[in-house]
Formats: sequence, C-alpha cells, structure tokens
Amino acid sequence: MSCEQALVFDGVTVRYGPDTAPVLADVAFSLAARERAALVGLNGSGKTTLLMAAVGLIGHEGGIRVCGTPVAKRTAAEVRGKVGFLFNVPEDQLLFPKVIEDAAFGLLRRGEARTEAYRRAAEALGDLGVGRLAEWPLHNLSHGQKQRVALAGALVTKPPLLLLDEPSAGLDPPGRLALARLLDRLDAAMLVATHDLDFAVRFCHRFIALDAGRIVYDGGDASTVRRTWGMEE
Amino acid sequence: MRTPWHDMWGCGRGPAGRLAPQSRILAGAILFAACMAAPAGTVPGIILVAATTLGWIAACGMPRRAARSFAFLGLAMFLPFFLLVPLLVKGRFAAPWDVFLHGMSGMLVTAATVTALSASDLRRGLLALPVPRVISAVLIQIVHQTAELLAETERVAAAVAVRGRSGGGKAALRVLASLPRVWLPRIIDRADRVAAAMELRGYAETDLRVLGRAALEAADVAVIIVNLGVLALAAALRWRWIG
Repeated sequence: MSCEQALVFDGVTVRYGPDTAPVLADVAFSLAARERAALVGLNGSGKTTLLMAAVGLIGHEGGIRVCGTPVAKRTAAEVRGKVGFLFNVPEDQLLFPKVIEDAAFGLLRRGEARTEAYRRAAEALGDLGVGRLAEWPLHNLSHGQKQRVALAGALVTKPPLLLLDEPSAGLDPPGRLALARLLDRLDAAMLVATHDLDFAVRFCHRFIALDAGRIVYDGGDASTVRRTWGMEE
Repeated sequence: MRTPWHDMWGCGRGPAGRLAPQSRILAGAILFAACMAAPAGTVPGIILVAATTLGWIAACGMPRRAARSFAFLGLAMFLPFFLLVPLLVKGRFAAPWDVFLHGMSGMLVTAATVTALSASDLRRGLLALPVPRVISAVLIQIVHQTAELLAETERVAAAVAVRGRSGGGKAALRVLASLPRVWLPRIIDRADRVAAAMELRGYAETDLRVLGRAALEAADVAVIIVNLGVLALAAALRWRWIG
C-alpha cells in the first residue's frame, strides 16, 4: 500500500475541554510517502496528542488525512489499517500473553494464514533482536524488550505510515542503534516523536518542533533544533 | 515485574496439561459443580468432595507450595466464619461446615484448573467453548491486564516502602493514606490507554479464533465423560437418588 501524501494536518486544533486552552493550535504540515520526520519538543508540548489525533483517538478541529483518507469516526478502521502505531508505554498496547501471538495479531486480523503470520511475526521480532523471545510470556520481558515487541507488532503489517512515540525510550545503546538502522531501511513514511535527537538524526531528515501546541520549526537543520530547544548536553 | 499471579498460571505439570485447553476449562468447571452439589452433611458426600478435589489437584500437577498457599487462604477466609457461627447460633454446625467444605473445595479446584492453564491456553480454551465472544474477550483481557495491574501495584508499594521509610513512621502513614489517590488515578489512566490501544489495534472487532484453536481428542472426551459421571454421582447423593 502506498500513497503520495502519507499524512496531512490542515489547521488542526485539539482541546481536552470546551473552555480549555488548546493542546494543539492550528497545526499544519504534511508528510510525503517515505518521508521521515522527527517530532521534537519539550515535555507537554503536544507531541503525543498530535500522534493520537492522527489516528482519531482524540477529537480534533480542522482536517487530518492519512493516505488521502480523512480521519473521522466513520473512517477510523480504514485509517488505522494504514498506520503502524507505537505508544509511549509499550505495556499498554501488548494485548496477548505470548510474544509471538501479539506480534502476529495485526496480520491474523487482516486474514493472513496462521503459519505465514507467525513466520512473518518471527521475522519482525528477529529484525528487532528479540527473535529468541518469540515463545516467551510478555510479563517476563524487560521494558526495552517489550518496546521491541510492540514495535514488531506495529511494523509487521508493513503499513505505509508509521507513528512512533518515543521508540528509543528504554532501549540500550546497541538496541537504539539497531532500531535506527532498521527504521532507516523501511519504505514507510514516519513521524517519530522523540527527545533523542542523536537517534532521530540517523534516519530522519526533517525536524518538526512543537512548543505549547504550535509548530515553531519545520526544517532539516538538526543543529538548530539542538540549540533552540536545549537538546544537547 | 513478576508477581505470584504470573507464576500461578500454567505452573502445573500434571497429565491434565496434555488435554486440549477447552477440555481443561470444562473439566474444571464440571468438578467445581460436583463439589458444590455434593452434600456436606453425609460421609459419602464428604468423601466425594475430598476425592474430587485431591484427584483434580493431582491431575493438574498443582505445585505443593501453591496448594498449601490456597489451603491457608481458604482457612483464613472460612475458619472465622466456621468458628463463630456455632457460638452465635447454638448447636448449628451444619451450615458453617457446609460453607467451609464447599468454599474450600471450590477454591482448590479452581486454583488447580488455573495451574493447568497458561494465559494463552485460557484464550484458546475460552474461544473454543460456546461462550459469547464479548465475554471471552473481556475475560481474557481481565486475566492479562490483572497481571499488569498487580505489577503496577507492586511498583507503587515499592515506592511507598522506600519513600515512607525515609521519612519515618508518620511519613509512611501519610504515603499509605495517599495510596488511593496515587494508585487509583494511575490505574484509571492505564485503563484509558489500554482501551485506546485495543481500539487502535482492532481488538474488539476481531474474531480472536484466528489465533488458533486446539482440536479435541479421545482422551479429552473420556475425561469429560468421567467428570460428568462425578457430577451425576454428586447430584444423586444430594437429591438422595442413591444411598
């Protein structure tokens, strides 16, 4: 599945209550097919909210389109079929007791035969360095291992758009490097919310900075992002 | 983080573990019903309940440590009632004995069944039985998420222990008193996030049987028939069809 514009935000505003200040204010940007952007900003700047709004988990004003499909209640299933999503707490999205079952779920629900789904899930787990854990119960894994399993579940269906919330959090340095290399090899468009700019620069060529729910920088200069938002030691 | 909840599921190493998951659930449910139906006031009834409970514990290969823990839990739950009621209602031992025997055996049979099932087995078994899909999905998530909630609770308790001790007894009490305000919002927040993930991953609208199911074999049918026989015997003793 491919699309010219993987993700379009057109004047998007999000509020958590009718009389509250917007968490996202008039956000507008687009992400082309196979384009990779890092979404950066301080804590509470609206990164997670933006990702959640992109898949219709949070209501919004303005227009959001995923591969040309407008994000709305009636199109939610279609939109989510085109997106691989990683939550910032991996435990939240792991819904099955065994690693391989969770990783294969996305394929099985799309009608893939069980053997093939398990084979591809095992492959995805292997790519993320957790192939040997396929038969393990999820509760035996460390945070970093759960993060990789959740990622495998998001990547296994090869969606055209990946929305990843802090994918490098909890990974050890070799794991971060391996993940950056893996993401760099993928064909999907990506929007990666992260505080880890060293990780992001390995595969992202665009940086979108949020401050208090507004886009304050959108460009390819990582050093500007580092300088301006204090993302350097 | 591992908790005793995690350790209990599927820890049994008995022959019942070789049955199809749906047979293990069904066999456990039938024996539970038999223990509830058998009369506690007659010797044959007591022998039937004891034999059924011990036999199922052995068949499931329930570890001794787990059996001991559950026996103690049962004693803690039912013994005060057992000891107090005769004092309150003079000479009436029958009712507390009834509650004690049925409660204890029901709990042990259920616990033994749990030790014969891993969480994956529970899912496969429930989905193969004629249980409404929504109920199966909810039960499966309850078991899975309980593990996560217990781990969360242990993390909060660990934080309470560490932070409480550093400030002395009063501080410990203050932290303990704030637990409902700390733990509950965290759990509600987590429930929200899990619900969002389920929605996003299409969990609710997917027929979970796509994840695979186990076929019944002759041994499964034989065990179910034997267990139904035990249930029939318990019913016969209860309603005095025999003896």
